[in-house]
Formats: sequence, C-alpha cells, structure tokens
Amino acid sequence: MSDSEASAAATQDASPSADSTSLSTHLAPTRKARRSPEARAEAEEKPAETCSPATISQGGWGYWGSWGKSILTTATATVATVGQGLTQVIEKAETTLGIPSPTELSAQAEEERQQGEAGDEKQAESDGSSPVGSAMGMLSSLTSVVQNTGKTVVSGGLDALEFIGKKTMDMIAEGDPGFKKTKGLMNRNATLSQVLREAKEREELQTAGAESSDPEKKAVAHYGMLFDEFQGLSHLEALEILSRESESKVKSVLTTLSGDQLVQLREELDQIKDSFSMVEFDEEEEEETEDDGGAEFEKELTELLEGLHVSATADKLSTACKNICSTVSDMNKPLNKEGDEEETLRHSAEEVHAAAIRSLAELTARSIELFHKLAEIILTSSSCVEASILSQLTVVLCKEISQLSKKFTSCLTTAGSSQKGDVLNPLITGVFLEASNSASYTQDAFQLLMPILEISHIQRRAEFSEQ
Amino acid sequence: MEAIWLYQFRLIVIGDSTVGKSCLIRRFTEGRFAQVSDPTVGVDFFSRLVEIEPGKRIKLQIWDTAGQERFRSITRAYYRNSVGGLLLFDITNRRSFQNVHDWLEEARSHVQPHSIVFLLVGHKCDLEAQRQVTRQEAEKLAGAYGMRYIETSARDAINVEHAFTELTREIFALVRSGDITIQEGWEGVKSGFVPNVVHSSEEVTKSDRRCLC
Repeated sequence: MSDSEASAAATQDASPSADSTSLSTHLAPTRKARRSPEARAEAEEKPAETCSPATISQGGWGYWGSWGKSILTTATATVATVGQGLTQVIEKAETTLGIPSPTELSAQAEEERQQGEAGDEKQAESDGSSPVGSAMGMLSSLTSVVQNTGKTVVSGGLDALEFIGKKTMDMIAEGDPGFKKTKGLMNRNATLSQVLREAKEREELQTAGAESSDPEKKAVAHYGMLFDEFQGLSHLEALEILSRESESKVKSVLTTLSGDQLVQLREELDQIKDSFSMVEFDEEEEEETEDDGGAEFEKELTELLEGLHVSATADKLSTACKNICSTVSDMNKPLNKEGDEEETLRHSAEEVHAAAIRSLAELTARSIELFHKLAEIILTSSSCVEASILSQLTVVLCKEISQLSKKFTSCLTTAGSSQKGDVLNPLITGVFLEASNSASYTQDAFQLLMPILEISHIQRRAEFSEQ
Repeated sequence: MEAIWLYQFRLIVIGDSTVGKSCLIRRFTEGRFAQVSDPTVGVDFFSRLVEIEPGKRIKLQIWDTAGQERFRSITRAYYRNSVGGLLLFDITNRRSFQNVHDWLEEARSHVQPHSIVFLLVGHKCDLEAQRQVTRQEAEKLAGAYGMRYIETSARDAINVEHAFTELTREIFALVRSGDITIQEGWEGVKSGFVPNVVHSSEEVTKSDRRCLC
C-alpha cells in the first residue's frame, strides 16, 4: 500500500470520464476503500469511543460502536444478513467519501430514519446536494425498503440485498454528488452470474495491471476471481439456464390450460411460490452456538439432504466448511511456539482477511454448486422435493456464512489489534460485505429453484393423471 | 493462479455414458487418473490454461456433461454457449461409436444459431486387445463430418494434452481468421486481459499462420 498506489487509485476514482460500466458492479470495495486517502485522513480523526475494547470483544457487530448499532436496530426487523448489508453501506459511505465523523454520521442517520420511511422523497431531496447527503438519503431509502419487506425475508430481502450489495455500492463508491442514477436502482436487468462475471473480469484486469506495473506487490484477495476458481460462476450460470428454461416451460403449460384446470394449477403453483417467500431466519439460535469445527453444519446438511442423491456435492460442502473452521482456529493461534510470551507472532490482518475472503468465496461456490445439483436431480427424477427443505437449506447456509464472517472478523480484530483503524476497518468491512454478498448470492440461487420446482410439480401431475 | 490469458474458450465434452469423459478431463486438468468415479450428475466444470504458442495462453472452461440418458433433457440446455467440444466414444465399445452420429446431431441442433467445432476422440486406447472400432473407420467417420480424430487414454496419459491443445488451436485459428467472433450474450469465446497488448496488432495484419501440428 504505497502512497503512489493510493493516489493512483484516487485519480482513477475521481476521473469523471471513467467508464461507468467499469464501476457498475463493484464487488470489492475493500481495496478501493483501503486506498482512499480521504478515508485515511478521516479515520484518524475518529473518536476513540466508537471502537472501545468492550464492543470489540463482542465480535463483529459491536465493533462499529453505537454508530453502527443505530442502523442495525432499524434493520433487525428483518435478518442478520440484511442488517449486515446496511452496516456496510454506511461504512462504505464513510470510508469512501470521507464523511465528517462516525458520530456525526450516526446522528444524521438517526435523524433521517426518524423522518419517516418516505424513501423516494428523501432520495429526490438529496439529489444534487453534497455527496454525504445523497449517500445518506439513499441509505435511508434502503432502510425503508428493508423494513417494508417485513418477514418475507428471502424474496423481499433479495432486492434489498441485491442493490445494497452492488448497485448502491457503486453509487456511493463513485462519490459523485451529481450522480443521478438513483432511479435505475431497482432495475435488475442483469442476471446474477453476469454481475459476478463482470466483477471477476474487472478484478482480473486489475490484477493483470498490477502484475505488469508492480511485480513485487502481493496479490489481494479477489472474491469474484476466487468464486470463479471454485467454479461457482459456472454452476450459477448452469442453474440460471435451467431456471429460465423451466420458467418458460411453466408459462407455456399455463397458456394451454383454461377454466377450472387453469385455476387449480395456478393455486398449486402459488403454494410453491409461497414457500419461497416465507423463509424466516432465526437469529436467536445463532447467538450462542459453540465452535464445533463445522460438525453441526454437516449434521444439519446431511439431515436435510437425506434421500436427495446429492451426497457427493454435500460432502464437498461440509469438507470445505470443516477446512475453513480449522483455518480460523489456526489463525487464532500464535505463529510461534509456546513460551515466547513477550513477542507473540500472529498472522497479519491482511492474511486473515485474505483467508476470510477465500473461505467465503469457497463456501458460496459450493453452496451454489449444491443448488445446481439439486436442480438437476429435481428435473431428472420423479421424486418430489419439498420447497421447505430447500428453504431450510438456504437458512442453514446463510447462517454458516454469517457465523464464519463473525469468526473471521473477531480473528481480524485480534490480528490487527496493533494496527490503526484505517488499516483494520476496511478489512473488517470487506469481510462483512463479502459475507453479505455471499448470503445474497445463496438466496438468489435458492430463488432460481422456484421455476424448477414448479415444472417438476407439473410433470409429476401429468404422470399421475396418465396412470 | 495466473490471470493473464488471451481468450477463454468454453468446451463441452459429450458422448455415451462410461466412455470416460470425466476421467479424460480430470487427467487433463488435475493430472491424475481416478480408478473409480461416480457417474456425472448433469454437468460438472473444470478449467485449465493452455499455452498454444509461447506466451499465448488460452483459458479453457470445460463443461463435463452426464452421458446417462436420464440427464439428456437438461444437458441439451448447456450446448449453446460452447465454442467447441470433444465427442468421445470408447474404442472397446462399438455401441458408443455408433451413437456418435446422434450426439453430433443433438449438439448441432442445440447450438443454433452458433456453430461448434468438434474433435472426435476414441478413448481408452490403452485397451488395444479389446478394440472394437478400428482407427480407419473412426477417421473416416470424423472426416465425413469435418472433424479431426485423436485416440486417447486417460489411464496411460496418451494424447490427452494433444487432444485439448489441438482443439484449442483449431478454434484459435478460426477466431483469428474472423470465422468465429466474440458476441454479446454468448459465452463461447471471451476475450482475456493482456497488459501489453501484443496480439491485437497481429490480428489486424492477419499474417498467415502456419499450422503447428
């Protein structure tokens, strides 16, 4: 992280002629944030009480202090993952734009929150004002979206997560007061795999550029590239293909029916749809789980997938999870042998961060692989797979992602205890951001299964009536 | 992992069940031979870089399809975004050779409007004693469909590199001549990132390229 590099990044960011498509799906704000000179200056002015040791010890959430919490309480109506997304948006806004101070920001956020849920008005109002204003305006509108989703977390939370995770990030990342793409925020014309693919390609471009200019530089953890390396992108794309095909098949079946037949089928399909939107994430349960090295996760996974003929893929996932758990516990141990109490050698914060990003990418890729395999099994066998099993599976996977991110961030906090906030904070934010992205990819993949269950239902129905 | 590559080609590997598609790919991407392997469910993915000329790397993204009939309805959906493919049969299994024609028809009808470059691969050539398909007849069939023919063995690592590199070169030549173009919304060929852009000027001048085989 040389100064020249930081300023180079800054020039690039500030350039008004910068190709907007290259910023359209920014998935790795960590690097950017870390290099932002404004953020550095700001972070040093940060009041000490926002990161008191007491809150640090609680793990990830507490770290952001009261400032993060006020936003968090707004979001607790929904899920942990959604909450994460919001916290990160705030943090992102702060590090990228160099907004005054966390306390000030917190007051502002609180104020905006109290002004009601009129997200659209707020947005319009803040357009063209200071970058802080527009960012905060948008945040409050996001908050209201999240609140409105209520308990139908998966479907409702999806959109929120989708644009918190990506589109919104770009807007904030861009830090341009005149940036008026806000109305395009809800447009989801790109498929998930496209979004990820673009992100990966940009990362590759950056890596290629970095390699040619500075061969000495250590490789930074790129979520998108790692996700692709674990074949997550390919599985996602294949799943999307199957989902799209099934969707059009369902539509064409519906056009051939009329009258009572149509009404009845629609009712049946609505029941399937319902199970895709009624997923609840049980937060309390995840609070006090012991670190079992992934055994509980494996048990839940095995129970859920019993009889579904995807054991090979599920095994890959549990193995990945176990390996990740042992990575975390290894990283929590000092590097040097016992006895040397004075100077304990620890893994660097960057190392922990890289491991965290890699682990999240692997876990997510394996989860999506599992969904893809399930889709293939459902489409090629006549057995009935309950939507509720799939939603429980999604819950289990997201819970694991959330727990992992907590483990890694607490490990990061320890590893970076001697480092300044401006180094550590973006790393922690990066982990939470990718965890939030991971959860939203997993949930998106789950949603892709809906048309597959629908067409499978229609096929079974047809077989039944033939008999 | 080395991130610099000129192009990414997506290849699909098809052929009857148990002809050894997954084993061939694993030998190519992982360098080992699995004695026992489960039948592929739907499709699996592998990738590897291939250096076709010094300094010119192509990333191959390989879609390994299930040969089992019951997966046919879904594997069909996966053809469209492939620029090339390996069509495998088992030289010790005449039936798998007879099905080559059907596989080709199936693939060709599902890649529309794009076209796909196939290489015919006679697999398990280490089992010479049990051979049921002669090299001559396989070459003749390949020729009739405008394909090249290569015999491979994943177990003894015979011609595995050669098969993939050969196909990659063939596609590369077509990309370079403009017969295959990168298209929006089609994943068959993707352009990579090269910091010092050497290849573009070459492409413009279109110097005639000698076949390296």
